[in-house]
Amino acid sequence: MLSLRTTNCVLKVLKTARNEQSFHRWLAPTLRELKRRKDSQGPEKPVHRKSFLEWNYDSEIYAFSKRLGEDFNNDLLLKAFTERSYIIDEEEKQKSVGIEQPTLNLIDNKELVAKGSEFIDDIVKRYLRTVLPRLPEEGIIELHKYLTSVETLSHVSYHIGTPELILCADFPVEKLTMANVLKSIIAALIESSGENRAAIFVRDFILTQIADKDLLQFWDLQHPIKLLSDILARDNIQSPEPRLVGCSGKNTILACFRVGLYTPHNKQIIGLGVGETVDIAHEMAAIDGLRQLFGTPENILFPYNLELEQLCASTDKNLSVNEWSQKNLPVQPTNFELHQVKMTSSC
Amino acid sequence: MSQFGRVKQWNTFARCWHLFDATWQNPLQCSPLIEKYLKGLHKPIYHPFVDCGDHVVIMNSKQIAFPGEEWRRRVYFHHTGYSGGASWTPAWELHEKDPTMIFRKAVYHYMKGNLFRRVVMERLHIYPDSNVPEEIMENITNQIQPLRPIPKTLDSYSNEEIEKYPKIIDYPQDYLLSK
Amino acid sequence: MSSSRFTPKGFPSVPLQNGIGRYICQLKRVTLRFCKSSGSSRGVRDFIETELISFAQDHPGTVVYLKPRRHKSPSFVAEYLNGEREVISCHNFSSHEMIKWLNLYATRSGIPLKRYLKMWHTECPSIQGVWSPFTNMDPALNITQFPSKKLSNPVWEEKSATEELLEKVKQQKISSDDENDDDNTHSNRAAQV
Repeated sequence: MLSLRTTNCVLKVLKTARNEQSFHRWLAPTLRELKRRKDSQGPEKPVHRKSFLEWNYDSEIYAFSKRLGEDFNNDLLLKAFTERSYIIDEEEKQKSVGIEQPTLNLIDNKELVAKGSEFIDDIVKRYLRTVLPRLPEEGIIELHKYLTSVETLSHVSYHIGTPELILCADFPVEKLTMANVLKSIIAALIESSGENRAAIFVRDFILTQIADKDLLQFWDLQHPIKLLSDILARDNIQSPEPRLVGCSGKNTILACFRVGLYTPHNKQIIGLGVGETVDIAHEMAAIDGLRQLFGTPENILFPYNLELEQLCASTDKNLSVNEWSQKNLPVQPTNFELHQVKMTSSC
Repeated sequence: MSQFGRVKQWNTFARCWHLFDATWQNPLQCSPLIEKYLKGLHKPIYHPFVDCGDHVVIMNSKQIAFPGEEWRRRVYFHHTGYSGGASWTPAWELHEKDPTMIFRKAVYHYMKGNLFRRVVMERLHIYPDSNVPEEIMENITNQIQPLRPIPKTLDSYSNEEIEKYPKIIDYPQDYLLSK
Repeated sequence: MSSSRFTPKGFPSVPLQNGIGRYICQLKRVTLRFCKSSGSSRGVRDFIETELISFAQDHPGTVVYLKPRRHKSPSFVAEYLNGEREVISCHNFSSHEMIKWLNLYATRSGIPLKRYLKMWHTECPSIQGVWSPFTNMDPALNITQFPSKKLSNPVWEEKSATEELLEKVKQQKISSDDENDDDNTHSNRAAQV
C-alpha cells in the first residue's frame, strides 16, 4: 500500500549528498493523481452498517433496549422496527428468486405507529398543561406541535440509535420513517412495561427538547397588543397605556426604544419591551405583559420529575385565549410553583 | 435568533449620546473622561473586540480654559509635507482660527494610536457654542458632569444677593470711587 | 504561528439534552481489531481473556465486536450515537491501558475533540436580565431638557473659604437666637420666682 513513509532500506537509498528524504520523488504526484481520479467519480455513497462484517442484529437490538434502560418484549421491538416498505421489498425479492407464495413472519409497525402517536400526543399535552397551568390552550397546542413535529421526533430518534436498526427499503432512512419508528417504539414500550414507564420515556426524550428554550417563540402571537387589552378588559382593567421609558439615538439608524405598558388607574407596570422602533418596542412590551400573565418568563426551570399519576386528566384543557382572564383561572393543585406570577389588580 | 433574542441584543449594545458642556473646562483634563465614554469603558459589557462606544457631543468649546501660560506656551506643530512647510501655532491663535480644534486634538492625542482611534473620533461631535443642530440634540439622553467648577462672575450676582451679602466694612458715604 | 487560530474550537455541548431527562451512554458499538499471534496485540489478547466480559457487562448499551485480523496492528473503533467514528491504535498496549482507553471512550459523547473556549455553557446565562444602558439609568433623565442646569454643575466642588465663612455666620446666628430664647425664658422664670 502506498504511504508517505517507506521502509528503512529505501531510506538509505534516498540519502543523497544534498538532502535526505524518507519518500520517493514519484510518491506525491502518484497520490495526487489517484485522489483526482477518486474525486472525479463523486463522493462515496453511504452504505448501511449491516453490510459490514461485524454486525449482529440481535445484539444491536439488545444493546438498544439496555442503552435506554428499558425492558422490551423482543417480538414487539422487532415489529416496531419493521417498515411496510421492507416487507414489500422482501416479498418481491422472494418472488424474483422463484418462490411464488412468499412467506414472511414479519408484521409491519403501522398499528404501533398509530398507537404511539396517540399516546405521545396525550402525554405531551397533559404534561404541558400540568406544568404551565396559566398558558392558554393555543400556546399549549403550538408547543405540542413543535414537540411532535417530524423534525423533532426524527432528531430524537436519530440520536437514540434507530437508523441502523430500522428494517426499511430505502437508505439513507427518511426523517418521517425515523419519527414513525420512535412512535412505534413507545407503543411497544407501553405494551411491554406499562403506561407509567412509557410516560417517563416520553418525558425524558421528547419533552426535554424544550428545555432552556423560550416557550413563547413557538406561538406566533398575532396582534399581541389587542390580545393583552382584551384579556385585561375581562378583568375590568382599562386597556394599558404605553409610555416611552427610554430612548437612545432617536434620529440614528441604531435607535433603541424602551416602552412600558402601565395600567391607567394605578400606574402599575404590566410589561416592558425594547425595540428598534417604537412600534416594535410596543409590541414586545405587550408580549412581555402576556408572558408575565401566562407564567412563561424568559428563563424557566422546566421540571422533569413528574410521573404519570401527577399529570392532569386528558380532558382538562387550559383556557382558550378568547376566554382567558385572571378571574377565570381554575385553581389547579400544584405541588410546585414554577414562577411567582404578578397579579395585575383592578382596584 | 428569535425576535425576542434579536431585540434583547439590540438593546444591550445600543449606542447612547452624551452631552458635555465645555465652559471653563480644561480639555487636557477632560480628555480621559471623554475617552472613557467614547470607548465604552463606562459599560460593564466592554470588551476591546466589541465596538460598544457611545457618542459625545461637546458644546461651548469656544469657552474652554487653559491654566496659567498655556494659551501662550502651548504650540501645535504642523508640516505640510513640502520643504519649508513646518509651522508652530500657539494655542490662542489656533483657537481663533478653529474653536473646536484644540478639544479635538486633546482627545485624539490622549488616545492610544491604534486603527480604532479614527473610528472613535468620528463619534465625537464638537460645537463652538450652544447652537447644536436639532437632530443631534434630540438624540442626547445623558449629560456628563464637568470636572472643574465654573466661577461666578461679578456681573452674574443679582442686586438682592449683593444687598444680602454680609459686609465687614463699607466705604464711607462721601467716598468717591471713580470720576 | 498561532495554531490556536485553526484548531477546532467551541463550547461544551451535549447531544439530545443527555442528562436532563436520563443519561444514555453515547458509545453505540466498539470493534476490537487485533492479531491472534503478533506481539503488538498481546495486551489486547490479555484484555479479551480477562477484562472484556466485565467491560461488556458494565456497558450493556454498547455492542462489542471482536475482529481478529492477521498481520495487522491492533486498534479499536468507537462508534457513537451521533454518527461519529473514532479509530484508536492499541499498538503495544497493556491490558491495563486497554481498560483505561476503553473506559475513556465509553464516557465520551461523539462530539469531536476541540479546544474549549470556556469550560462551561448555559442557555440561560442571565437570571436578572442582561445589562442594557437603560438598566441603571436614572428615570429622571427621560424628562430632562438638555443641557440640564443640575448636571452642568461639577461632580464635586470644593468649598471656598468664603462659603465656609458664610456657613459659620449662619450657624452663629442660629445659636445666638437659641441663647437669646433661653435667656428670655430664664429671666421669665426668675421673675416668677
